[in-house]
Amino acid sequence: MSTIFDATFLVTWLAAGVRLSGPLLLAALGEIYAERSGVLNVGVEGTILIGALASYLAAVATGSPAIGILAAVGAALAASLLLAFFYVVVQASQVVVGIVFNVLALGLASVIYRAAMGDVPALTSAPMIESFSIPGLANLPAVGPILFQQSPMLYATLALAVAAGLVLYRTRFGLNLRAVGENPRAAAAAGLSVVRMRLLCILLSGVGAGLAGGYLVLCQVGLFRDTIVAGRGFIALAIVILGRWNPFAAILAAFAFGLADALGLSLQLLALPVAPQLFIALPYLMTVVAISGLFGRARSPAALMQPYQEE
Amino acid sequence: MTPYLVRRLTPLDSRLALAALYAGAIVAAVAAGGSMFALFGANPVTAYLSLIENAFFDLRGFGYTLVQATPLILVALGAIVAWRSGFMYLGFDGAMIVGSTTATAFALGAGPGLPLDMLPSTIVVALAVLVGAMAGALWSAIVAVLQVRTGGNTVLISLMTNYIAIVLVQFLVSGPMRAVGDQPQTSLIDRAFWLPIIIEGTRTHAGILIALVMAAVIFVLMEKSAVGYELVAAGLNQKAARYGGVDVGRRVVQAGLVAGALAGLAGAITILGVQHRLLDGLSQGAGFIGIVAALLGRLTVPGSVVASLLYSGLTVGADAMQRHTGLPSALVQVVQALIVLFVLAAEIARTHRIALRAPSAAKARA
Repeated sequence: MSTIFDATFLVTWLAAGVRLSGPLLLAALGEIYAERSGVLNVGVEGTILIGALASYLAAVATGSPAIGILAAVGAALAASLLLAFFYVVVQASQVVVGIVFNVLALGLASVIYRAAMGDVPALTSAPMIESFSIPGLANLPAVGPILFQQSPMLYATLALAVAAGLVLYRTRFGLNLRAVGENPRAAAAAGLSVVRMRLLCILLSGVGAGLAGGYLVLCQVGLFRDTIVAGRGFIALAIVILGRWNPFAAILAAFAFGLADALGLSLQLLALPVAPQLFIALPYLMTVVAISGLFGRARSPAALMQPYQEE
Repeated sequence: MTPYLVRRLTPLDSRLALAALYAGAIVAAVAAGGSMFALFGANPVTAYLSLIENAFFDLRGFGYTLVQATPLILVALGAIVAWRSGFMYLGFDGAMIVGSTTATAFALGAGPGLPLDMLPSTIVVALAVLVGAMAGALWSAIVAVLQVRTGGNTVLISLMTNYIAIVLVQFLVSGPMRAVGDQPQTSLIDRAFWLPIIIEGTRTHAGILIALVMAAVIFVLMEKSAVGYELVAAGLNQKAARYGGVDVGRRVVQAGLVAGALAGLAGAITILGVQHRLLDGLSQGAGFIGIVAALLGRLTVPGSVVASLLYSGLTVGADAMQRHTGLPSALVQVVQALIVLFVLAAEIARTHRIALRAPSAAKARA
């Protein structure tokens, strides 16, 4: 058992936890904006996949990871426009649209991948974004490897999280956004366009998910597979709840899921008597408890999942 | 002149209008899919014809369509009961997994030399199916109780419970229930406890009969019984139902029990009829596709059975198509999703009509 508390193990584990939490946090930040405006976007899972595919194809074709990231955002925006049409214009059940969209995205992604790369695709690796050691800080004991030898995408993600929090709580736009998600009728009466706000937030959530897909491919995996997302979109939904719809708290929630994921991986290697699945399940259990209403309320935005009919 | 969307005074509800909208949505989805076949240099017409032939007009293929439709029908029935009662449950995948797990444990416990060895095999099968259903019922009832007691958000909680169930199975098949071997899976269930094949020369097992019987039971429950009436009333308007003397909380928990039992049944049947052992990644999303089938069937029992058969027929045909022509079966997955999306989009045509002149109210305002 002593190996768990070994300093090297601890540092490796924490660093891996931070690394794995990056894409989760990006997708969760976008989802927070969608949900705060009243739209539960279950389609994040599929949007991440589309972002991952676009970034892979573009990066392989051009040799530039930066263009890969741009392509991910572009493709995810297009996908989100489709989602927004169903959420906002058709006003169909958001859950249903999200689930079906995920099926569509999975089908489309594997069709497009096969059309682009051939029937039996050779494993062409995409050009990756190298991790970046921040001079001066990277060599600090323990903290250095955990926080300051990560991918530039991670630093960007953390900056985005802070920005997302400030915009949500410190700007008029953020206030309006929250009003639309709490009481759309009152917000409309006050002169806000509920439709426009929700459309914008769905697109923002698409940007987050698309970036998460690009992050996965260009910073972590380097390849594309249909199974690359593996439920990360749903984990992002969980992070939003565990972080109580707050971008700052979402940083910690994403870290919790990243740590659980990393611990599961390393415990399997160590062959301990403790089942690694216990740790993988832990953040989900925490999320269920957080949303269950058993201990205080993790209250969702009041108009979440309610389509809005303009007068 | 710009066209305007004008809200209809009453939505189009006639059978003819619904049939036309559905037909239009299916044709549009099939046509969109067909253009993607052309992308791969294949003739869409022959591809579709071979797909339909393999799924419905070939004995082996049709048999497999029935096998695939079985869990979808059961989950769709569960979705009908839950969603019409105002219990927006999305945890069918998890409930299926829990049902599979308990049914496997029970059937393995009845193997030679084990505690339940002396039971006759038909009793073992019946009990295994039953404990699977009961486990699924309890699993989803937890969420129903949370909705009633603490007002937790059912959509979000039930989504999370799916992952807990998946991790639970990963734990069991890599630890306590793991058989000797390379794969994380349990050992094979004794052949005596497999569901019998009902059509010679196919893989069709007795599960489809159970699913159809359950469809009849749920139809009677929801359409003909007082309990069903109260469930639907609770789903339509909680406050009105409560005022009318319905114990809404009790009915929601009952709906949760029934919905989970049906999903657990689907899981148990998949184990005893198809998989014959528990392994990771078993449900293959049937818990979600079943919901989609229920919605395509407009949350009615006959509609959902037909939708489940069509959906699984497309899946089976797609696999055959991939084997024969090398076209990716994911193409058909796209067509399946498009059908649902187009049906959803067609709702606009039910509630709105296109007019070339501005509605009079808007004209007056301008």
